[in-house]
Amino acid sequence: MAALDPKAMGKLIATGATTRVDAPATKPKFKIGDRVAARNLSPVTHTRLPRYVRGKRGRVERVHGVFALPDTHAIGAGRSPQWVYAVTFDAAELWGPQGRGAGRLTIDLWDDYLDPA
Amino acid sequence: MAQDHHDDGPSDVALRVKALESLLVEKGLVDPAALDLIVDTYENRIGPRNGAKVVAKAWADPAYKARLLEDATAAIAELGFTGAQGENMVVLENTATVHNLVVCTLCSCYPWPTLGLPPTWYKSPPYRARAVRDPRGTLREFGVELPEGVEIRVWDSNAEIRYMVLPERPKGTEKLSEEALARLVTRDAMIGVGRASAP
Repeated sequence: MAALDPKAMGKLIATGATTRVDAPATKPKFKIGDRVAARNLSPVTHTRLPRYVRGKRGRVERVHGVFALPDTHAIGAGRSPQWVYAVTFDAAELWGPQGRGAGRLTIDLWDDYLDPA
Repeated sequence: MAQDHHDDGPSDVALRVKALESLLVEKGLVDPAALDLIVDTYENRIGPRNGAKVVAKAWADPAYKARLLEDATAAIAELGFTGAQGENMVVLENTATVHNLVVCTLCSCYPWPTLGLPPTWYKSPPYRARAVRDPRGTLREFGVELPEGVEIRVWDSNAEIRYMVLPERPKGTEKLSEEALARLVTRDAMIGVGRASAP
């Protein structure tokens, strides 16, 4: 195995390495304005679905494109590309009465993290 | 105080990093010059002055600002700022009625090409927990008191998008050059825990 050299490192710093998938084969499940609920999942392996949004209802604000799903990608189980959305939640939905007046929170969620609501 | 313990030697973390580096180099996995390049890049070349140039240009040039809010990755690349942890950028505009705040609750995701590496507090569990649950209180601790009518919008960069805040342009800066404007833009203002400095 070749050593990580300055040339390869320079290229990585300059261009990066996105997990975005261009020209996706599937259509997004949701569109801007759709009401969605974050699934209540508790995997023991890697996920990017934080506990504080699980089971909460929000609304799709942006459609970001298609990216590898970290849950499978991180454990070598394939990239499972799927759509990612910016989903916005009211603070009161996330935190209860103490969240009132705390505005809104937006978080990026993959298709597998969402149900229609 | 540190000077009372000058014979303690390097910290545990520093020793562990040195041991890891030695192992990686001895096993032929890493060329030490690659590590020097990383350190030099993020200590000396890439930092929040890049993001400040983006913000100043957006303040000075309405067409650029429109492009930045429409497709931040491409607009930032116009100024030459591309690469790792900046592949998918979104810029959020602060206004008189909306204040955006960025956090990564899961770890430390941060837009490196424009802001450099994240400050330690950004990676700390207290910031990550409190920015989402009590953003107004968190901002107050940073010295930012928001009027009641201003809506706070928190953005959790848990996934692949890297967020940067376009702070409000300070008043009384109409005659300043882009270079002078850039000097008013702080790192904290681009995370959303501060405001741009007054001229």
